[in-house]
Amino acid sequence: MAEVAYVNASRVYPGSPPVRAVDELKLDVADGEFLVLVGPSGSGKSTALRMLAGLEDVDEGAIEIGGKDVTNVPPKGRDIAMVFQSYALYPHMTVGENMGFALKLRGVSKPDIKAKVAEAAKMLDLEKYLDRKPKALSGGQRQRVAMGRAIVREPSVFLMDEPLSNLDAKLRVETRANIAALQRRLGTTTIYVTHDQVEAMTMGHRVAVLKDGLLQQCDTPRALYETPANAFVAAFIGSPGMNLKTVPLTAAGAQLDGLEVPLPRTTLDKVGADGLKEVTFGVRPESLGLVGAGEDGMELTVELVEELGADAYVYGSVRIADQPERFIVRVDGRTPPALGQTVRVGLRDHSEIHLFNPETGARIEG
Amino acid sequence: MSLDAASIKATENAAIAKPTGHVKRSRLASFGLHGALTVASLIAVFPVFWVFITSLKPDAKAAETTPTLFNESSFDNYANVLAGEKGAFLSWFANSAVIAILTTVISVFLSATAAYAVSRFRFPGYRGMMLSFLLIQMFPFAVLIVPLYNILLMLGLQGTSFGLVLVYCTTAVPFCAYMLKGYFDTIPRDIDEAGRIDGLSPFSVFWRLVLPLSKPGVAVTAFYAFLTAWGEVAFASAFLSASDESKTLAVGLQVFVQQNRTEWGHLAAASILVAIPAVIVFYLVQKFLVAGLASGAVKG
Amino acid sequence: MRGFFSRHWYAYAMVLPAVIVTGVLVVLPLLQGAYYSFTNINESNIANPVLDRPASYEFTGLDNYANVLSGDASYGSFWDILLRTLIWTFACVGLHFVIGLALALLLNRPMRGRGVYRVLLILPWAVPAFISAFAWKYMFNAQYGIINQVLRALGLPDPVWLGQSDLALIAVILVNVWLGVPFMMMTLLGGLQSISGSLYEAAEIDGATPWQKFRNVTMPGLRSVSSTVILLGTIWTFNMFAVVYLITGINPNTRLLITYAFERFFNGASRDYAIASTYGVLILSVLLVFASVYRRALRRQGEVW
Repeated sequence: MAEVAYVNASRVYPGSPPVRAVDELKLDVADGEFLVLVGPSGSGKSTALRMLAGLEDVDEGAIEIGGKDVTNVPPKGRDIAMVFQSYALYPHMTVGENMGFALKLRGVSKPDIKAKVAEAAKMLDLEKYLDRKPKALSGGQRQRVAMGRAIVREPSVFLMDEPLSNLDAKLRVETRANIAALQRRLGTTTIYVTHDQVEAMTMGHRVAVLKDGLLQQCDTPRALYETPANAFVAAFIGSPGMNLKTVPLTAAGAQLDGLEVPLPRTTLDKVGADGLKEVTFGVRPESLGLVGAGEDGMELTVELVEELGADAYVYGSVRIADQPERFIVRVDGRTPPALGQTVRVGLRDHSEIHLFNPETGARIEG
Repeated sequence: MSLDAASIKATENAAIAKPTGHVKRSRLASFGLHGALTVASLIAVFPVFWVFITSLKPDAKAAETTPTLFNESSFDNYANVLAGEKGAFLSWFANSAVIAILTTVISVFLSATAAYAVSRFRFPGYRGMMLSFLLIQMFPFAVLIVPLYNILLMLGLQGTSFGLVLVYCTTAVPFCAYMLKGYFDTIPRDIDEAGRIDGLSPFSVFWRLVLPLSKPGVAVTAFYAFLTAWGEVAFASAFLSASDESKTLAVGLQVFVQQNRTEWGHLAAASILVAIPAVIVFYLVQKFLVAGLASGAVKG
Repeated sequence: MRGFFSRHWYAYAMVLPAVIVTGVLVVLPLLQGAYYSFTNINESNIANPVLDRPASYEFTGLDNYANVLSGDASYGSFWDILLRTLIWTFACVGLHFVIGLALALLLNRPMRGRGVYRVLLILPWAVPAFISAFAWKYMFNAQYGIINQVLRALGLPDPVWLGQSDLALIAVILVNVWLGVPFMMMTLLGGLQSISGSLYEAAEIDGATPWQKFRNVTMPGLRSVSSTVILLGTIWTFNMFAVVYLITGINPNTRLLITYAFERFFNGASRDYAIASTYGVLILSVLLVFASVYRRALRRQGEVW
């Protein structure tokens, strides 16, 4: 068990100009915490994980595990275990040998290895397969062996690099829950990398969002969803994504087609002080809804309807300043509008909106 | 596509059994296919077969103008050769075996370590290494005999088997390293990294994970190194002492040929005896050859 | 900031053994050999530790190169031999590739007995070259060789194959083709098997004929394997010494650059190391020029190599 800290850690690939794959990452992970690193491809999330594993050099700053600076410690001295996206099982060893390999290298006695492997195998329902080679296993079983290999070592930190991305959708959801439950039970500090924001939101105690090597925000899933620190996080977290439009400001608020969204005085003052003529206005699909002809709203031409059963998502365009702008609206799944129909869309609650600076993307607190 | 570690082995098997064309074909096409392959196989095998046939004949019958398949055939030639009547055949054989095995072991070791470094680490000088693997193969070794002789003399290895082994290694290592580098490239790096995290040093990752997973590549390398040493004549005659007992088979037979131009039967028998170990080594590695060679050349 | 050495030390430790061995036994001899090509060294003036005789050869500058490149017959008619070597190399490599590819294509089809064919077809590679040379020399023998025996039985002329005529060159080319096809075949077979089957299925759906599939799927798929084996094959064939020397001995009609260098080296009263070394340097130069031209051609076609 141990806490983990990135102390302004950077990974810089040489070149002209040099690529800062991870740029002054500052992040503290508490003992026993499940932290998810999430971001699009190329955001530096895997590099950050590999720096912690010791597989990637730390060019600036430091990395600490359990309060000790491990920046220059090789992987084997860091007391970590890692689950790879490809699982990286040793093809020439059986499942049992794969799981016991690290213990064998540490000089643990044979009966002890056997007992620990058996225990982990039982936990993961792998007892029947201990004598098989990895190639004789299904994808899900291989994934469990990779988990087992990490568990058997009883490390102070688990590192997981997209461990579910090679599973089919159904198995992925199931395994997602199993991993989260396992982590809660073992209480081992876990750093988990994924590009899938649903995984991030459902599994982590806290989620760190990265983009271009820079940490955007690190907070609980709920806080990320409700108060995204910038437009990138707002768009990245949530599915389907938040509607984000840059719109002109009026004296009272933001102007969207026929819909004028009134903004609190304090917000307007702040925006005015920054000298902004426009704001990036964000609203999640579930904060929009169909309204009657007399109410405040925008005219939305329906282009696509995704019916999910309980809900339906309506994709359509609204003309703002004579430009068609796409909006996504969540509606009741039982009575979705038809394709080509024009519907009136309004805000459910004037507090469920987000404003961002159109130049910097930063959140404007209301 | 996933870089599944277990799929390495799977692709090896697929490399042998993957069908790519139509499974059904007409009787005529089938006849043509088997006919062409049979003719090619006959051409490939015939010279060896003919040497074997000749090796059973007495010397006089082996040089008749109308050869027949069997003509007073017996295993007498083999008995004579093995009994040492035509030179110290058994000591030649032992010398060749020691030299070839040493060459194989040392070449595989040298080329595998170098190939692994080039495959995995981007160290300064890496491109130079890759290029020199290719360049060294261009060297006309046959004309480097005098300088090589001088260097071996300087090192105190002139006239020893070990000196000859080192010379063979220099001719085998570049190709072997080239091939093995390609093979190592097909093993996912994740395997190395998993090993590092499980507690292996970079050297033991190579020794305990990558090498056991590279059997086809290593088999090809070993085969190539073995053949390089087993059949070589020019260096062996220049660098080994002239006494009959220290010759290799290739040198001994060469002398035999020059001195006994008419003893075709005995020559053939000796040749077959020399070929047997090479063919055995070949048979042991042949199932790895396709996978081993291909990845080497594909990625080379 | 960690040091350069601590970052790469294990990589260097792993290449070091190979670098030392090849460095000492390739680079040093090469430098010495290159130096010899600027001297008049031969058996009578080289240092001889057995006789305790010091070296007495002299530096002669570019004389050897001038003599050799003049094409003078007493220095081996360099240009004639170069031409013959080029003919030999391209004939051998061309035939290796075409026959190797044809056999690989046949072997890549699913059929009964594939394993047996494969073993039989690689056999020439497994047999030590000097034994193959002996076998072919015996078979090419004008009087009691099986080849002429067959030709006579068919009522065809039975020439002296290994005599002083161009037939000898044809004969050694045939032998070298027999020797070299297995390597090409196996490598290309591996290359064929690495081409994804879905590409053929896609071509099938697009309505490609077998020839179009070969042109548009097979050949591009083999590009990187072929470019490597053709380069290696050319280098090896150019320097192929054993087969020619063992089958025809010293024969002006099969004289190649490499065999002439060896001839200069081992035969004749004087053992002319200087001229042999000069030939060695020239061989290396020709191959370097070839490799860089070849490489540039591949680059232009977008091959990363």
